[in-house]
Order: sequence, then C-alpha cells, then structure tokens
Amino acid sequence: MGSKRHNIRSNILPKVFMVGPITLWLGFLIVIPLLYVLVMSFCGTDEYYNIVYKFTLENYKRLFAFNYLEIYAQSLLIAFFTTVICILLGYPFAYLITRKFTRKKAILYMMVIIPFWTNSLIRIYGWRTFLGATGFLNNLLMDLHLVTKPVEFLFNRGTTILGMVYCLFPFMVIPLYSAIEKLDQNLLEASADLGAKGRNTFFKVILPLTISGVFAGSIMVFIPCLGYFFVSDILGGGNADVIGNLIKRQFQSGNDWPLGSALSIILILITLLLVRIYQKLGGSMESLGM
Amino acid sequence: MKKTLIISLVTLILAGLFTGCGSKTDSEAGGDKTLNIFVWTEYVPDSVIQKFEDETGIQVNVSTYSSNEDMLAKVKSETEGAYDIVQPSDYMVQQMIAQGMCEELDKTKLTNITNMNEAYLNLSYDPGNVYSIPYLGGAGAIAVNTDVIKDDITSYADLFDPKYADSLVVLDDFRAVIGMAAKSLGYSMNETDPTKLAEIKARTLELKNNIKLYDSDSPKSALISGDCTLAYCWSAEIALAMEENPAIKIVYPSEGAYLFLDNWVVPKGAKNYDAAMQFINFMMEAETAQMVGEEFPYLNPNAAGVALLGEDFSSNIAKNPPAEVLQKGEFVENIDSDSLAAYDEIWTELKQ
Amino acid sequence: MNRKTKRKFTDFISVLFCGGIYAFLFLPIVVIVINSFNATTSKPYLTWKGFTFEWYVKLFSNETLLDSFRTTITIALVSMIISVIVGTIAAVGMYKYKFRGKNIIDGLLYIPVVIPEIVLGISMLTLFAKASIPRGMLTLILAHATFSIPFVVFNVRARLADYDNSIEEASLDLGANRIKTFINITVPVLAPGIGGGALMAFTLSIDDVIISYFTNGQVKTFPLKVMESIKSGVSPDINALSTLILLGTALIVFLTQSGIFRKNK
Repeated sequence: MGSKRHNIRSNILPKVFMVGPITLWLGFLIVIPLLYVLVMSFCGTDEYYNIVYKFTLENYKRLFAFNYLEIYAQSLLIAFFTTVICILLGYPFAYLITRKFTRKKAILYMMVIIPFWTNSLIRIYGWRTFLGATGFLNNLLMDLHLVTKPVEFLFNRGTTILGMVYCLFPFMVIPLYSAIEKLDQNLLEASADLGAKGRNTFFKVILPLTISGVFAGSIMVFIPCLGYFFVSDILGGGNADVIGNLIKRQFQSGNDWPLGSALSIILILITLLLVRIYQKLGGSMESLGM
Repeated sequence: MKKTLIISLVTLILAGLFTGCGSKTDSEAGGDKTLNIFVWTEYVPDSVIQKFEDETGIQVNVSTYSSNEDMLAKVKSETEGAYDIVQPSDYMVQQMIAQGMCEELDKTKLTNITNMNEAYLNLSYDPGNVYSIPYLGGAGAIAVNTDVIKDDITSYADLFDPKYADSLVVLDDFRAVIGMAAKSLGYSMNETDPTKLAEIKARTLELKNNIKLYDSDSPKSALISGDCTLAYCWSAEIALAMEENPAIKIVYPSEGAYLFLDNWVVPKGAKNYDAAMQFINFMMEAETAQMVGEEFPYLNPNAAGVALLGEDFSSNIAKNPPAEVLQKGEFVENIDSDSLAAYDEIWTELKQ
Repeated sequence: MNRKTKRKFTDFISVLFCGGIYAFLFLPIVVIVINSFNATTSKPYLTWKGFTFEWYVKLFSNETLLDSFRTTITIALVSMIISVIVGTIAAVGMYKYKFRGKNIIDGLLYIPVVIPEIVLGISMLTLFAKASIPRGMLTLILAHATFSIPFVVFNVRARLADYDNSIEEASLDLGANRIKTFINITVPVLAPGIGGGALMAFTLSIDDVIISYFTNGQVKTFPLKVMESIKSGVSPDINALSTLILLGTALIVFLTQSGIFRKNK
C-alpha cells in the first residue's frame, strides 16, 4: 500500500552512495593499475633501468624464448603436482571428517584452520629447520644408523612442492568440506537400496555430486601456487623458481618493470584460461568466493 | 563457530594493543629526529645502531637488501628521499652518480675522515669522495668444509668439478657468479665481447649442477648447518663460519678474486641530511669501526679502527684479505645495456 | 574377514590417515615451539644448545619485533573496517538496485580473489609509484582493504539471499528515513555475513606476505619482519611470539567451542 510511494522516490542518491565507493575503489586500485601494467608490458628500459615509453614487443619476444618457456613449464609442473597431491590427500580427509567422524567434524575442521593462525612464513621456515642437514629428521636418521651422511632434503623441486602443498592444503579442504557436507544422505541410501555396492556408489553418486568441490579447490590451489615465490625461495633455494619468482626478480634486482609487467600479463592470461576451463567444466564462481 | 573466531579476533586485538604500551611514534620527516637507512643484510651491527641512537637521540629505521640491484630498484621505485643512507658498492656508486641520484657530502661535518686509510679514498668511481665514503670491503672467496672435502681447492675453476654436485652455495648475484665463471676461464669479470660471452655462458651453466643454494643474505648459514660443503661468498661470512666450525677453510682463487668496496651514500632528496652526516661521521669513528670489525670482519678501510682491532684481525686472512689478493683481484664495473641484457639471460637460464 | 573386522580395519586406517594429515599440518608448529626454548645465542640459531625460557623474556625487549606486530594488527583492523563499510553498503546496494555496469562490478570483484597475489602486488606498486604516493602505512592499508572487500561482499551477499525485504518496507512506512532503516534494521540482520567477511579480512591481512612485500615501503609488518629474519637466521624470540599467538588463539577456540556446547544443552 504505502510501498508505491517509496518506489517513486528517487533512487539515484542511495545508488551512488552505496555503490559509488566500491566502484571508485575497484577502479583506482584494480582497473587502473592493471591497465597500467598492460601498457608497461609494451615499454622498454634504458641503460639506467628507466622506463622508455615507446611501443615495443621486445619483452614478449624475450619471454617466449626457450629459457623462459622452461620456467613456465617448471611452474606449471610444480602447480600440477601440488594440486594433485592436495586432491589425493584432501578428498579422503574431507570425506572422512564430514561423513565418518561427523560428530566431531566442527572441531576437526577447525584443527585444519588453526595452524594457519601462525604466520605461514615461519611455518615454512619450520620445515626448513626440520629438513636441514643438521635438522631433526637428519639427526634422527643418522642416530638410527639408517644413513651415514645427511640426506639432502632441501633446496629442490620436491621439497618446494611439499611446501606448496602445506600452504595450500586448506584451500582444497574448505570447498571439499562444503561440497561433501551438502551431500544428501537420502541419495546415498537410495543408491544402496537400488543395490549399488560401496565402490559404485562412490564413483556414480558421491564423486559426481562433489566434483564441484574438487574443481573449486583445484583452482584455489593451482593459481596461487604459480605466484608463491616465498615457498620456492625458502625451501627451493633458487632451484625451483616459479613464475612469481621471475616477476619478483624483475621488480627487484632485474630492474626491469616492463619485463615484469609482461610476465604478469602472461600469468593473468594463464589464470583467465584456467578459470574459463573451470567454468566450462561447470564450476561456479560463487564457490571460489568461499 | 563464528562466535569463537570473533572472540579470538577480539583477544588478538587486545593482545596487540597491550604490547602497544609505550609504542614509539611513526617515523616522519622533519626535525631530523629520525634516520632511514637502507643497508646490506649482515653488515651493520645492531649494537652500533643502538650506540648511535643512544648518543644522538635520533631514531634509526633499518631496512636491508642483499644486492646492489635490489637497492637500486627499491630506491628508484620509492618517492625521492625515502631513504637517507644507502650502501652501494663501487660500480653502483658510479651508476648512481651518473643518474644524479646522490647528494654531495658536506665534508665539514665529516671530521673523522682522517681515520680512513688513504689507499681507499679518491678511487676512480668517485674521485675526491664527493658523494661517497667507503665502509667495508672484501673478496668473493671460496670456502671449503675440510671435514667432507679432502681435495686441495685453489681456484674458481676447481668449483666446476662435477664431483661437487649439489654441494655449493653461491651468492645470489648475477655479476658475482657470471663474473666468477668468466674469471675461471681467464677472462675479465666485465667482459662484453659477444664471442667470449658465449663461452662464459656455457661455463656458467656448467656450474648449475653443483649449485645447491643461492644466498646473498647469509651464506654462512648453509656452511655452518652443513647443508653445503662448498661456498662462493663474501670473505667475512667465511671468516664467521670458520669461527663456528674450524674445519671450514678459506681459499682465495688463483685466478684473482672478485673484489668489492661498499660505500655510504646519501640519496638525492634525503629528508634527514644532517642526521645522515652525523651518522656517517659516527661510523668513521675508530671505536665504531672496531665494533663493526668484531661483528662483521670485512676488509676495513678505517685505519684507526684496524689498529684497535689488533693482531687477531690483521693477521687473519679471512678477515683481512692479504695485499696480494687485493692486487690480483678485480672489481665489478658498469657495462653497456646490451651486454647487461645478455648477462641477465644467462642468469635466468642458470636459475631455473 | 567378516564384516565387523573389515569395519574395524577401515576405521583404524581412517584414524591413521587423518592422524597423519594432522601430524603433517602440525609438524612445523612443533618445530617452532620447540625452537622457542632453544638456548642458542648465535646466528643462524639452528643448533640446539639447551632448554631455556629466556627468549620469552627477550621478546618483550625486542622493540622492532613488537612494533611489527602492532603494525600488523593496526593495518588489519583499519583495512578490515574500511572493507566492511565499503563492502557491506556495496553488497546491499547491488542487491537492491539495478543499474548499468552491475555485471562489470560483479566480475571485477572476482579479480582480487582469483588472480595471483603477486600480480595485485606489483600492479598496486606501479600505481603508487606513478602517482608518487610514498609507500608506507597508507599504501599497506589501501592494498589490504583491496583484497578484503570482495570477501565482505560475497559473505554479505550470501546472507542477502535469504533476506526478507518486508521489514525494511515496514520501517520506511513507519516514517524512519533510509539511513536509520539501514543501520537499525538491515545491518543487524546481515550481521553474521558482515562478521564472516570481517573475519576473513582480518585473517588475510595479518598473514599477508606477497602484497605487503611490494607495497610496504619501509614499514615492517610482522610477516615481513619474519621474512627478513629468515634471511639471516630466525632468532627464537620470533618463535616465542608465534607460539604465544598460537596458544592464545587455540585456547580461545577450544574454550568457546566447549562453551557453545554447554549452552546448547
């Protein structure tokens, strides 16, 4: 009754007031910087590392040279293995917590999150201390006479993957937990009633229904992995550089912002490609926002 | 669950505020009550900074870097005057001067300059020391853990032996490493000839298998922890490692070592110029040089300081590189941008 | 093997597996806690030299470390408040009103969530450098708010999905103006969503490394101070601080968890 009066009221002021700030924010802090990075990727540098604003494809040409392609391959490989390991460990884990240990699932879920209240850098450093030549693990192995000299765990790709899995594991568990929790018990019972054995039920009912969680988790693990330079720095020692390390170097010692920008654009393109694939496979953007 | 986390949040906030009792004010320009210095990691002792703060009442904010190029990148990307003091090496001083990035030093404020060893003043990269004052120097030498490696290592070339696979820690510095590869072939660290560069590239890549770790911040850590049994790094780092583990030995390469000399420079537009002058003068005091030399035993251009450090310092070849090493060695110099790009390509390929 | 034994076996394997995962997650934490009692005094602080509590004492005289912690909390709080305000009014505004470009803003919101942080970091650095904004507390807060705002929006939006407009209408009918209605009616209903978003913002901010790395200038946040220490060797007072933080939060979580259970009974 009275609502008709309110609809006629001007909507412009509240609209501007409510959506204005975020528009300005996104515009100035996301759109403009990214556009600027795009522009810079087509610029060059002079001998004193100053940016020269003249259109050039030099950066992209350099980045498609063989040595850079090898680093992309290494990055993608590290990200791939990290994601796969996270799925192989994360899925059973999330499943067991949600369905087997259901009564305690809240606490068990929290226990995955709690370690992440400690600074992630120092936890990765904890791994470095543990795996070092005079670290706890090596000391134990030597004391047990299993080895005669310290095993070289550190500063290679394997340990870097370990570190990445460690940091990104919750990002796989959270969407999986969400998806598995939503499983309707009735569907499982129906499947059993219709005579499906455990394995069939899993592959034909449970997995398809929870696969969205796997996809969402994969994206949330794979993409950050490409940029997590501190894990490669601390555990990889410079031997397992990912694209993030390359970019960081250009903004530091490399003193080549245009090259770094071009690398960033390439990284953005890889990200967009992966998101597109994710959407085509049926993934929803909402589940990425947690 | 949300309630739990919100309570945790509140507690964390309270904890943060509790430690905030007696918080210091943010450093801001003006009044020269603060000083923003940007120095190499493991190079300026905390005790020295503390002493300066106590004596002058100026609060010092310390940021660190581990390569000249990192420092340059940060200084250039910041607004002018963000830093009052930086520590470029020889060739980097020259680069900064050429780009007009340095303030002239007010010599009237730098009375302790008489403490400095003449041999380290008035060098080619800054004649008359208009913009810079030397701080510490040294060589990029070799460290060997003799408990594990029984061979006699005498040159950079020895490091390329395949039997040392996965055992070397090197500086995370492209001029230092590529230069070392060049020297192992008998070439200059500042080679620009394209044919020679191709050879240097191949040589550098030979080292890849032997390198276990890149570290310019604290290469001695890997030596001390045993993660690496060979090192190519700063001489004082080796000296310190030797003190922790007497089995570690220093070797100056027969080809001639990579030499460096780091300097105090005041970047253009520094907000606390007077404090910066006070600081540099303080660093040239004999006692300060002694404190520095005891914690970071590098080659010390401060003659008065060296005198105070005594025999223990001057006779230790790791702390005080002998004259022959200094004569035979080579400094990094600036090269043209095309060659620089070539060096960068070699470095990228090495590191992946 | 009969069914019961098989069941017991799978139960056993399940517990073992989950236990293993937790062991994996907590292992470095155990290392950190143990090392906080290490009586070592020289860099790189790696060898065990005996048990001591002294680092917990030394921690409170390490001004730069405590400063970095305070800085981190401050930045987290301020950026959280900003992102809550901007994000909440945006979520409500987008829910209520139609306008051109709504889809664009919607899409843009996903950028900070999906794009690798390093790209965000360098792009903001580039902006600040070009606009000659000195890097420091201001740029850190702006950067942190930027990656937090989308999470606030998403959380509030989820809550809005079940939102019943009629209470608002009633309020307006009764003569309250829009602002009053918003504050007294809309916000309380959305509170759980706002709370969730705020929590997300705070959590992301206190542990942020990559974006802070490029936008900090000379300001040291706690993660950046840790990063600096890792270069030359992490002194055990940092371990001590991390242990204290961990203990504090874990204690609160467990206390309130059991508290909630008691209330429900």
